[in-house]
Amino acid sequence: MKKKNIAFLVLFGLCAALLTACLFDSGDSGLSSWLGDQGLPDSYKVQMLTVEDLTPVSAKVYAGNTVFSATTRAVFGTQAGLTHDIVFDFAFIDSSFFAEMKDADSAAAFVALVLDDSYYGAKCFPKDSFPYEETLDLKVEWIIDNGKKKSFIDSVGKVSVSDWLEELKEWKADNSADTTYELSIGAKDSLVIIDLPSAFVEDMKKAGPACHLQLRLSAPEAKRVYRFFGPDTTFMPEFRMRSISDTNIKKFPPFRMSDVVTYNDSCGDCLVVHAGVTDSLVVEYPMEKILEALSDFYGDAFPYDEGDGNDVRQAVVLAQLDMVRDDSEGYNELGLPIQVVVGSFIDSLGEEIRRMEMYKVNRKLVAESGHPNMVFYDGDSLSLQVTYGVRDLINQARNGRNLKIMTRLGYPVLQDKDSLYADYKTADGDSVYVFFKHFDYARYDFGKTFSQPAKLKLWLATKRGGEE
Amino acid sequence: MKKFLGLILCCAAIASASMIGVDALGEEQIVGGSAAAAGRGFAGGAKTGEAEGLSVVNPARMAFDSKVVFNLNFLMDMYAIESGSDSYFTKNISLPSFNLSFPMGDFGAFGISLWQHYASSIRESVSDTLTHADARIEYKGSVYEIVPTYAVRLPYLRNIALGASVHIVMGSMVRSLTLGPNNEGIADEDVWATNNAELTDYVEGSWEIDHHPAYYSGSVQYRGRQSSFYFSYTTGYTLLNKLEYNFRFSELDTLVPSHVNRRVKVPAMFATGVNYRLAKRHNVMMDLQWRNWDEDVENVGRSYDMRSKTETQDDFVASIGYQRDGSTLYYDPLPDRITYRAGAWFKNWYIADVYEVGGSVGAGFPLGRKGISLDLAFQGGKRFSESEGNWEEVFFGIRLGLMGIGSWGQSRR
Repeated sequence: MKKKNIAFLVLFGLCAALLTACLFDSGDSGLSSWLGDQGLPDSYKVQMLTVEDLTPVSAKVYAGNTVFSATTRAVFGTQAGLTHDIVFDFAFIDSSFFAEMKDADSAAAFVALVLDDSYYGAKCFPKDSFPYEETLDLKVEWIIDNGKKKSFIDSVGKVSVSDWLEELKEWKADNSADTTYELSIGAKDSLVIIDLPSAFVEDMKKAGPACHLQLRLSAPEAKRVYRFFGPDTTFMPEFRMRSISDTNIKKFPPFRMSDVVTYNDSCGDCLVVHAGVTDSLVVEYPMEKILEALSDFYGDAFPYDEGDGNDVRQAVVLAQLDMVRDDSEGYNELGLPIQVVVGSFIDSLGEEIRRMEMYKVNRKLVAESGHPNMVFYDGDSLSLQVTYGVRDLINQARNGRNLKIMTRLGYPVLQDKDSLYADYKTADGDSVYVFFKHFDYARYDFGKTFSQPAKLKLWLATKRGGEE
Repeated sequence: MKKFLGLILCCAAIASASMIGVDALGEEQIVGGSAAAAGRGFAGGAKTGEAEGLSVVNPARMAFDSKVVFNLNFLMDMYAIESGSDSYFTKNISLPSFNLSFPMGDFGAFGISLWQHYASSIRESVSDTLTHADARIEYKGSVYEIVPTYAVRLPYLRNIALGASVHIVMGSMVRSLTLGPNNEGIADEDVWATNNAELTDYVEGSWEIDHHPAYYSGSVQYRGRQSSFYFSYTTGYTLLNKLEYNFRFSELDTLVPSHVNRRVKVPAMFATGVNYRLAKRHNVMMDLQWRNWDEDVENVGRSYDMRSKTETQDDFVASIGYQRDGSTLYYDPLPDRITYRAGAWFKNWYIADVYEVGGSVGAGFPLGRKGISLDLAFQGGKRFSESEGNWEEVFFGIRLGLMGIGSWGQSRR
């Protein structure tokens, strides 16, 4: 009997307790008022502070020649002051073919590139752009290394992509030839076949039986950039060589490709930033002005230097920099607005790191006048959210750092007034994308934006007392 | 039974204890919070028997035990707090202590206790669009003590025992107040920026004793034919609470926290108690604990208009109790084998102008032949408060103790 009875007793007790619990009415106002009696609020009061006339203490563009891997997308030509060269990396072994090549009078070679129709076929690409026709002054450069065995080919393959890209920065061609090419592109999926100069073919005749060929094409005078598929796609570029007759044609796909970017124009201290490359603009705003404004607002001393000096008396819910914008000095290809990406330099365990800022959408504003963080768009203002940066600045103001932010140009924006700010599918099953997945190789001058005073708008929450 | 214990342990995760003094030390669990002691109004520190077990106030008592005692205590509390016309109801399940004592014959007795000495535990929320209220408050504070204890009866003077215990303190403290935005003060066009922007005033830290590994208790107990009594002294100590203050957006999106240590000087405690045997198996008992606080308790505070300190007063617990021991003969009828308890207490809290009056009834049910018993106590009472910020509380609690008794290590006589 005992165990059952005891268990019953216990359960009865607990049931009674739970029933009692349900009978009591625990109204919400009770807790609010209890919190109030402890000196605690039941919501945080949002306060706003605007710091006017914030002029940068420094602004500098970080840009320079660079190399990208072009395994899926290759860019070729010149646009917005940048020349994009294509470098192909080939490695092949064929002793009988090279033996034939040696004595062949009709030997020839060409590369075939397929136009990237994910770009040229996109809805946002202006249909009336075609046909593209121009006479390209082409510079062809090459480096040929010869070997005898498969082990030679293997050793080429062992060079990592990053090492290869690094080597390309110090490009020294074995030989080169200038030629012209009559470029004519009529459709989004055109094939571009470029015959390679005879000097190159003569050098190839001496090559083999195993050969590592690096071929670079350059068109610094081109009117624009052209986009092709890279070697990791179905429509990979091809390199073909002919030995004795048209039947003896060998095709060799490149096993990797790269886009070598060269800057043609240098404008000294100007604040020109290019899209699609690694350009970034780093701007510093003076800390003192922001801390002064906070000090006036709260009536407290800033920077906070009690204890370990980390200021957790208030939090920045959101910080936004409002600046002027002038698109007139810029160039873009697609005519779409381009997103300005922002990051802030913050302290992480004593080291300065860059943290990309989140972007909170002001839905009402976006529906009316589009996202405020775009260039090449209507209006003459630019608003960038720098919440993490200002949070850290105030939190660790004792370190004496300025508000340091980084901006760069992002992707072209397809949905400039869609406040959802995320890719989605419509009821009809159509995909709607926020961004176009290709860069617009644009150029933008931030000179006016970062030379004129900005306005810093802060949404603040404090845990100081004295409200009631 | 295992499932039931499991359920109780799960429920312990959703806890909220007394809301008085949560920002100071929280609620103190007197005499280790055991269910047997609670049944007799927290009196009975001097009550000896075969298996009374470990007392954190009177370590010497354990020397008179002859059986191994292991007990585990659960507490379920319900509180209605009120101030003027406002009231609030909350409930709590906790495990205030578990104890093990091991008599070793002439070599004395050794015991160990894990005791949740102070607890502040709340998890409540309020949300009201009309008043813009959107808050979640959470306190998870525990000062735990591991108390190894040794007691021995004196040679020749076998009615007198001495006991000592070491209180090793540890624990943690979290105060988290999550608030939603109140946009009343800003323009409509700026309201977008605070959508879903919840902010948490978050404080966490650990407990230890400042510059010392532990604090200590010592007691002497006399066991007479009719009356038994004890005197105990517990050293004063300073609790160190190393706190980290933050104002954060989420666990992954935080500022660099600010660090502050707070110290709480806990005074020495005197305790005494007497147990008088009225008749066979009928006992009345009375206990008194007293501490003279001379410094205020520094609060966790540091946010909004929270008070920076809690004023203290001399705290004492005066309790009286009655216990009718159950028969140890298995063949006696069940009602005769049950231990009955009743008691009442008056407790002056360490917080100024807070005192508590409580009463309890309890019983110890024998389970099976092997001496396992289940202690159940119902307690209720009221906490009166005239101090700022602390509301009066009416409380009702159920304590459940599981006592396992064996004679391991004891030779048959």
